[in-house]
Amino acid sequence: MMEPRFSRRGFLVGAGGATALGAGGVAFDGAHAPAAAQEGGLPDYAAWKDADALIIHSRNTMETKRGAVGSGGLTASDRLFIRNNLPSPDASITADPDAWEIAIEGVARPGTMTLGQLKRLGVTSEASVLQCSGNGRGFFTHGASGSQWLTGAAGCVIWTGVPVAAIVEAMGGPAEGATLMTSTGGETLPDGVDPASIMVERSVPIAAHAHAMIAFEMNGAPLPLTHGGPARVVIPGYYGVNNVKYVKRLAFGTQESGAKIQTSGYRVRPVGEGGAASQPSMWDMTVKSWVTHPLTDPGSGRVQIHGVAFAGPERASGVAVSLDGGQSWEQARFYGPDLGRFAWRSFVMEADLAPGVYAVASRATAEGGSVQPEDFPPNERGYGHNGWRAHAVELTVA
Amino acid sequence: MPRPVAAMAAGLAVAAGVAMADDLAEGRRLFVEGTEPACAICHSLADAGAEGEIGPSLDELRPDAARVARAVRGGVGVMPAFQETLSEDQIAAIAAYVARAAGGG
Ligand code: HEC
Repeated sequence: MMEPRFSRRGFLVGAGGATALGAGGVAFDGAHAPAAAQEGGLPDYAAWKDADALIIHSRNTMETKRGAVGSGGLTASDRLFIRNNLPSPDASITADPDAWEIAIEGVARPGTMTLGQLKRLGVTSEASVLQCSGNGRGFFTHGASGSQWLTGAAGCVIWTGVPVAAIVEAMGGPAEGATLMTSTGGETLPDGVDPASIMVERSVPIAAHAHAMIAFEMNGAPLPLTHGGPARVVIPGYYGVNNVKYVKRLAFGTQESGAKIQTSGYRVRPVGEGGAASQPSMWDMTVKSWVTHPLTDPGSGRVQIHGVAFAGPERASGVAVSLDGGQSWEQARFYGPDLGRFAWRSFVMEADLAPGVYAVASRATAEGGSVQPEDFPPNERGYGHNGWRAHAVELTVA
Repeated sequence: MPRPVAAMAAGLAVAAGVAMADDLAEGRRLFVEGTEPACAICHSLADAGAEGEIGPSLDELRPDAARVARAVRGGVGVMPAFQETLSEDQIAAIAAYVARAAGGG
């Protein structure tokens, strides 16, 4: 039997993160508790979601509880997190998905096509991880603004859509010298605000278009408004913000979008600094994993410890699990179908646990050799946290 | 129903002195119309009669003053940063007002 060996800085406890401690051992700021929003329940546009599986941070931000992302490789649609930068448009836009219009610009023969027309050009399907740039923000202790996501602003789903490459080819290829693909969202903007200051428009390196699609289905059902229906851009391996919802324009060119969300938003910089275009943009995701079960006392004896691991644009190649806060590691095993390099893998490690306290951590490795780091440096907006230590779970076995 | 700021200010004047009540009134003014764009365009806050729907409802979020000040200084998501257009005193006044009006401290 594995004996508990445990002495450590701070660990995240339990399913709801009730007594969450950051790496510095500082108690989680009570003001960030989502209780207020929880009282209100689910807003209309998300009424079909499984509220019991979600932590509701606000009307436009809800994450999947740590133990609820699913252990079969895919996340159920009604449990998938929601993160809307702006309120979603009226539900009427999903009434006739094929009539939705998307302007394609920066190609040899630009034009506006309906989703119905685009569907004639090709079809593809990909399982991929959708993860918010700020997933894990709640594990930082420097008080970054925004939703205090723990592990649940991420899920793995199957998208079906029209390959962007097929669209570009049908329209004569990208404009000469194009280096970027820019997607514009169809949200309604309020009066009295400069559109560029709040519109959702994101540019990514043009290479990303090889795997990108205009998705119209998620997990085998028409893409709901809640997740960007009737059509959204999906760029496997890229952070959520680049997967623009209700997409109404796709453009190829050399100029990054002038929208604030591109120029100064979603930029990684030191704590205290403002955002600027010179700083790294939240584009491709990094190698990451976390344990999803057990999160509360499983009782002593044999236990299956499982979790999820992925590596952004790469394939996750392995994951190690520690029961003693990283002093020793053992290789876990992937189980379930391999849904491709952009999907996450479920992993399991069997352990015989004697009564005691365990610090259960997981550490993923990517095919290219990069390894999930122990810590991730605090940054102004609390982006990109993949440090295994802060994602560890303290387990007390009675 | 919105709690009128005057009543709130009057209550506070007794509790914490007139200067603070003035700051709260100034915080409310800034919230409603004193920034570009105005907080009220994007947020709802009953006390200020604000019904913006772009950002979270502050009545639901109930942020404390530190959280408001951080968001106002640096911006969040599509919310702009105001550290270049507002003084620290103005940010403190907005933060104190929002925290108080939303019930977050
Ligand atoms: C252009 C619209 C807009 C304006 C103007 C605006 N906000 Fe916001 N605000 C937002 C949005 C959107 C969010 C949610 C950001 C996110 O989570 O991505 C937000 C978030 C916040 C938060 C929560 C931050 C957190 O830690 O989660 C506070 C507090 C806040 N705003 C206060 C203010 C105040 C005070 C003002 C005026 C000085 C203001 N906002 C002006 C759109 C706006």
